[in-house]
Amino acid sequence: MKYFLGIDVGALSTNAVILDVRREIVGYSIVQTGANSTEAAEETLEKALVMANIDRAKITSTVATGYGRISVPFAEKKVTEISCHALGAYYLYPDTGTVIDIGGQDSKVIRVGDGGKVLDFTMNDKCAAGTGRFLEVMAAKLRVSLDELGDLSLQASQEVQISSVCTVFAESEVVSLVAQNHPTEEIIRGLHRSIVNRIWSMVKMLGIRGAVTMSGGVAKNRGVVSLLEERLEQPIHVHTEPQIVGALGAALLALRLAQTAT
Amino acid sequence: MAKREEYIDKEKKEKGKKLFGIFPAQYPREILWAMNVLPVEIWDPPLEVIHANAHLQPYICSVVRLGLELILQGKCEGLDGFLFPHTCDSIQNLSSIVSDYLGVKKPCYFFYHPKSPYQDSSRVYYLEQLKGLVARLEKQLGPLDSSQLKHRVQQGQEVARVLKQLYDLRVQGELEASNADFYRVVRRGEYLSPDDFLPLLEEFLAAAKGSAQGGPAVIMSGVLPNPKEILTLLDELGVRIAHDDLLNCSRRLLVPPSRADDPFEALTESYFAMPPCTTKDSSVSERVDDLLAKVEQSNAKGVIFYMVKFCEPELFDVPQLTGELRKRGVATLLIDCELNQNLSGQLATRVEAFFEMIS
Ligand SMILES: Nc1ncnc2c1ncn2[C@@H]1O[C@H](COP(=O)(O)OP(=O)(O)OP(=O)(O)O)[C@@H](O)[C@H]1O
Ligand SMILES: [Mg+2]
Repeated sequence: MKYFLGIDVGALSTNAVILDVRREIVGYSIVQTGANSTEAAEETLEKALVMANIDRAKITSTVATGYGRISVPFAEKKVTEISCHALGAYYLYPDTGTVIDIGGQDSKVIRVGDGGKVLDFTMNDKCAAGTGRFLEVMAAKLRVSLDELGDLSLQASQEVQISSVCTVFAESEVVSLVAQNHPTEEIIRGLHRSIVNRIWSMVKMLGIRGAVTMSGGVAKNRGVVSLLEERLEQPIHVHTEPQIVGALGAALLALRLAQTAT
Repeated sequence: MAKREEYIDKEKKEKGKKLFGIFPAQYPREILWAMNVLPVEIWDPPLEVIHANAHLQPYICSVVRLGLELILQGKCEGLDGFLFPHTCDSIQNLSSIVSDYLGVKKPCYFFYHPKSPYQDSSRVYYLEQLKGLVARLEKQLGPLDSSQLKHRVQQGQEVARVLKQLYDLRVQGELEASNADFYRVVRRGEYLSPDDFLPLLEEFLAAAKGSAQGGPAVIMSGVLPNPKEILTLLDELGVRIAHDDLLNCSRRLLVPPSRADDPFEALTESYFAMPPCTTKDSSVSERVDDLLAKVEQSNAKGVIFYMVKFCEPELFDVPQLTGELRKRGVATLLIDCELNQNLSGQLATRVEAFFEMIS
């Protein structure tokens, strides 16, 4: 049996997906990228191999993606996250016409056509506003864990308006909101709103097409997803492991690569 | 060939030329050539900005910032004058900072060109501007020799003719040069005398004829091809810039020829036949048509809008341009960055993703 590997080395997480020839996911893994992307790629691969219960030698081809895609020495090919998220999302939800990937450092909106082909895309500027990093900084300030963010914000009956877009300024704004005794849930909801507004302006630039699929770690945050659904006025597909969508797309490309090679 | 500084220095010391620092973008270089002036254009000097920030708001573009820095670092001491064409508000403001506030003891000239839509009076106005500039220059440089001007106008047309040939070959995929090489050569005209630029172009033309690499073609629109890393990245990906709509390249260099006998008439005729440009307030529809024609000629797969951050005239048009192009199925990519900055991972990802999209 042959297997195909996709590895997505992101700013925060490094993920692997292993597919078999029938395009079934047989193994995957999510690890922290940390300081060494090459080591993270090795680690995530090892874990995915354990889950798939196969030998490394069984991997026929590998495609690397993510901002650290150049640090995966064993990949035959490197492809950007844009193409990979589009393919992965299309594979999971074939009615996908729009992908919103919010990762640690980047947020992207992708228009997707037939077969998961990228029709157009837009990406945030280099600052952290509107990304997962923004939420991490704020969660740390508020002393709540990332997992709690979503539920807390869904509990809020009101929300506080955060006026700064910039992470650095928003952070000091949060500090003073805390000092003024605003309930944490309301601040969190306000922070989520500010992310959603950023994403909304990107979506508007491209226009919504078909069903919307969200990928990247921020899709695990129910608070962000629900505000975004409200804003888009349509439901959003979210996979149980949204962080592996990019690696899944890369694995699909690895399979394609092997097929064209033979 | 000698480096920029050495070359300029030599022109002054050995050939007795006067040196003028020229800010972007359009100016009658033939008049300066005819008056024994070497125009040295200031677009993107490779400097670290230290002093200029004190004079400029954070939202001013890096063309202006670097130009001012060049002066403040004392690197324009050897110049005999400055010329500020009326390109945009920021350059207009720069001209007043330099001439009014800094007390730079050098003659500063201003050049106003008519903006579209053109009327009959625009021609009259342009002719007056040309002659007015000459009259002011003559006070510093002595009388303009009309046969010299005629010669230089012809030479300018010759330069434009060879450049057009190079561009045509590039459009057809018959120029073997990389993006980086092509623009390196074209941009030498920013400081070379036409006496040296023309042979350089001809030599390049002869050497580079041949079929281009097979990857997809794109059109690049914007102010100038800087940071250069973008050109190298496109080369690595096998993407050929088949034509451009860059202010400092095709938009001002591909001057259509004129048959007029009188050199001032010839300059005027050429000016009004130039491609559409933001610095001339050309309409968006003219610009869309121009871009679409370039896309069609070169069979390009997309247009990259390569913006200098905060460049208002360029950025104003972009939403409409990209909208119109998309409607017609032309892929577009918008990037903006500071001049001379390194290509960040994010920028590279955008370019690579665009490449994957059009391949
Ligand atoms: N359990 C969780 N609950 C809520 N949010 C989470 C959770 N886990 C991660 N996140 C969010 O996801 C972000 C990381 O997303 P992801 O792993 O997709 O990033 P990445 O792919 O490494 O980054 P990039 O794509 O920008 O290079 C974190 O910054 C955080 O905001
Ligand atoms: Mg990612």
